[in-house]
Amino acid sequence: MEIVFAGFGGQGVLTSGLIVAEMALEEGKNVTWMPAYGPTMRGGKAYSVVKYMDGVIGGPDMEEIDILVAMNGPSLEYTELLKDGGLLVVNSDAISDDEEIHLNADVVRVPCLTLAKEVSNPKGANIVAIGALLKRSGIFDFETAKEVMTGYFEEKGKGKYTEANEAALKKGWESV
Amino acid sequence: MKKMWKGNHAIAEAAMRAGCKFYAGYPITPQTEIPEYLSARMPELGRTCIQAENEMSAVYMILGAYSCGMRCMTSSSGPGISLKQEGLSYICAYYLPAVIVNVQRWGPGLGTLDSAQTDYLRDTRGGGNGDYRVIVLAPNSIQESIDLMYESFDIAEKYRNPVEIMSEAALGQMMEAVEFPEFKDREGELDWTYDGTNRPHGKLPDSEKSAAALAKYTKIAEEFQRWESYRTEDAEYVFVAFGLPSRTSRNAVDQLRANGEKVGLIRPITLWPFPIKAFEELGPQVKGLISVESTDTGQLIEDVALAAKKCKIDVPVYGLFSGLSISKTKAISEFYREVKSGQRKEVY
Amino acid sequence: MAVTKTTPKLVDIPNKFCPGCGHGILNRLIAEVIEENGYEQKTIMTLGVGCDCNMNSTFLGDTIQCAHGRAASTATGVKVARPDLLSIAYQGDGDAYVIGLSETLNAAYRNTNITVFVVNNNNFAMTGGQMSWTTMAGQVTTTSPAGRDTKATGNPIKLPEIVSGFDVAYVARGSVHSAEEIMKLRKYVKNAIEAQLAGEGYSLVEALCQCPTNWGMDTRHSLEWMEAEVVPYFELGELKERKAK
Repeated sequence: MEIVFAGFGGQGVLTSGLIVAEMALEEGKNVTWMPAYGPTMRGGKAYSVVKYMDGVIGGPDMEEIDILVAMNGPSLEYTELLKDGGLLVVNSDAISDDEEIHLNADVVRVPCLTLAKEVSNPKGANIVAIGALLKRSGIFDFETAKEVMTGYFEEKGKGKYTEANEAALKKGWESV
Repeated sequence: MKKMWKGNHAIAEAAMRAGCKFYAGYPITPQTEIPEYLSARMPELGRTCIQAENEMSAVYMILGAYSCGMRCMTSSSGPGISLKQEGLSYICAYYLPAVIVNVQRWGPGLGTLDSAQTDYLRDTRGGGNGDYRVIVLAPNSIQESIDLMYESFDIAEKYRNPVEIMSEAALGQMMEAVEFPEFKDREGELDWTYDGTNRPHGKLPDSEKSAAALAKYTKIAEEFQRWESYRTEDAEYVFVAFGLPSRTSRNAVDQLRANGEKVGLIRPITLWPFPIKAFEELGPQVKGLISVESTDTGQLIEDVALAAKKCKIDVPVYGLFSGLSISKTKAISEFYREVKSGQRKEVY
Repeated sequence: MAVTKTTPKLVDIPNKFCPGCGHGILNRLIAEVIEENGYEQKTIMTLGVGCDCNMNSTFLGDTIQCAHGRAASTATGVKVARPDLLSIAYQGDGDAYVIGLSETLNAAYRNTNITVFVVNNNNFAMTGGQMSWTTMAGQVTTTSPAGRDTKATGNPIKLPEIVSGFDVAYVARGSVHSAEEIMKLRKYVKNAIEAQLAGEGYSLVEALCQCPTNWGMDTRHSLEWMEAEVVPYFELGELKERKAK
């Protein structure tokens, strides 16, 4: 499984990858997480790649993407690596619904920021996107996802945001 | 339970577990997480971490401390390791142990921050003035980075020679689930260290140094080759790759095998000494060797060709050089098909 | 009163410096102070590259020969590993002030608890008398054959004056051109070593030394030239005194 979270720096795409990586680890998979770093970071471009499987994982970078989360317009460039029949989650707050996307893939448009604001968690747009992709792909169930995410933030000393993040995850889950 | 760790942080923590008591270094991307991590971790453990004024100063601090037998290390990336070569040459001249981490970035000069393996020839050939070698270990996962780092001080002290862990930008930045070994210290004492009493340090008269160097490096080359052979038993074409390209090469082997292609992989773990023994095991069915590396002009391929010559494997040697990226699985498979159908010209 | 003179064990063989050289005097003063403090088996001397390389075979304690200019860094590493030992860097002016200017200044800047001795003989002596940053204005060397032109090369560097502005333990400049100055220099050497042993921090002593071979003078004229030309520019004395003695 190869999942890419892409967007601008500050949209939480590195964190999104780490949370989903923890979910895969919880299920006993081999996992890699790789951030865009170095020159790619300039100009505010950011992404993270999560790969997990039972066997030995090859290169950590993008190769053939199963699920792409595009938090902004420029991230759509990675659709060229999206597998046929893959899943594309589009943040429709940043990418207009008028933007035509012709892919042999499942494309879902989620207003991540709008939904995050609805649950008073404006920094949780990335969590909304995770909720949407989990529901749509069925890779992890909601309770596992919630538990792992909460554990992740608590370990980082951000336990006080648990409620807001769970609300954002739920909002995303219910949006598709 | 296994936890997700970033490569650079993991290698730094592994050094602590291995008994490293002193670190000196200078910030440079993409290895800076090592001094950052240690600047917090070492005081916690009652150990010393110095941010030096430059790379040379850092390597001489290591020379001074390891002269006294203290387990210590430095780390850097491409250009910074160039600056350390003077000190490494001295460390080798004095038969001192040392541990160095090179988290490689691409290119000559300032280069870029992209992941690469473009320091291969410099680091496996000594790199500074004089005739010496540095033992170079190349992990291809974060767990292996930990395991090799955990051993590196023992190896360096056993042979009284520097050991380099050759990492890559992406390997330093990525995360994988890993486990750490227990904290350890050196077993026994080194009997040659500087302690103020002017006891013998194992220095040789100049007239004996050439022969001693040859004997030392021949011995290491003979007994310290490490590699992993993957599906090579009946392979007609064998990829040779280390570090991250070895992972995509392994995937390519599996994909090609699934389509009935007889391919395999040799993954050197020691880059110096180069694992020539891995090639001795190849059968007469081999038709070609393919070096897969993140270089521009081909570096690993020189050792592949030399190993083939040594083992009397008279087949063409091809090179897939991906420059400032890691060859994707698909690209490796395609390259193989081009080789097989005669569309690629051999390098050696 | 009869005085028995004993040579310190650490320098109890003939040195290999040129006849008339000032290095040997500083060698002896350091050895005397080390032995006075009972550190003859507890000292590691890091040698720079220059005439001090000769000390590898004539200084009978532990010596580490490092690369040109890197003695302060090496001595720093020694001190990290063995804070219980005396860690000394012994260098020439070319080593410490030219190629190793960065390492010298940075070790002082960190107030590392090491002692640095620098022989200032106004030239690169080991390589045959080239211009150093301490070469006097107008002084003829093999790379300033018409006399040092300070307009093009800068004025002779006063390193102790620079580092005495840092937060360091002790800085002094002495000279070996007269018996009186040698006795003062001995006091500086003693202070510098004892500052380290007391854990006070970085100490540096520069010693003006004659280099008859490369100056092209006999020893007597060398000493006269030092007194007339060198000492007035490189003022002698303690530039930074120890705080708590």
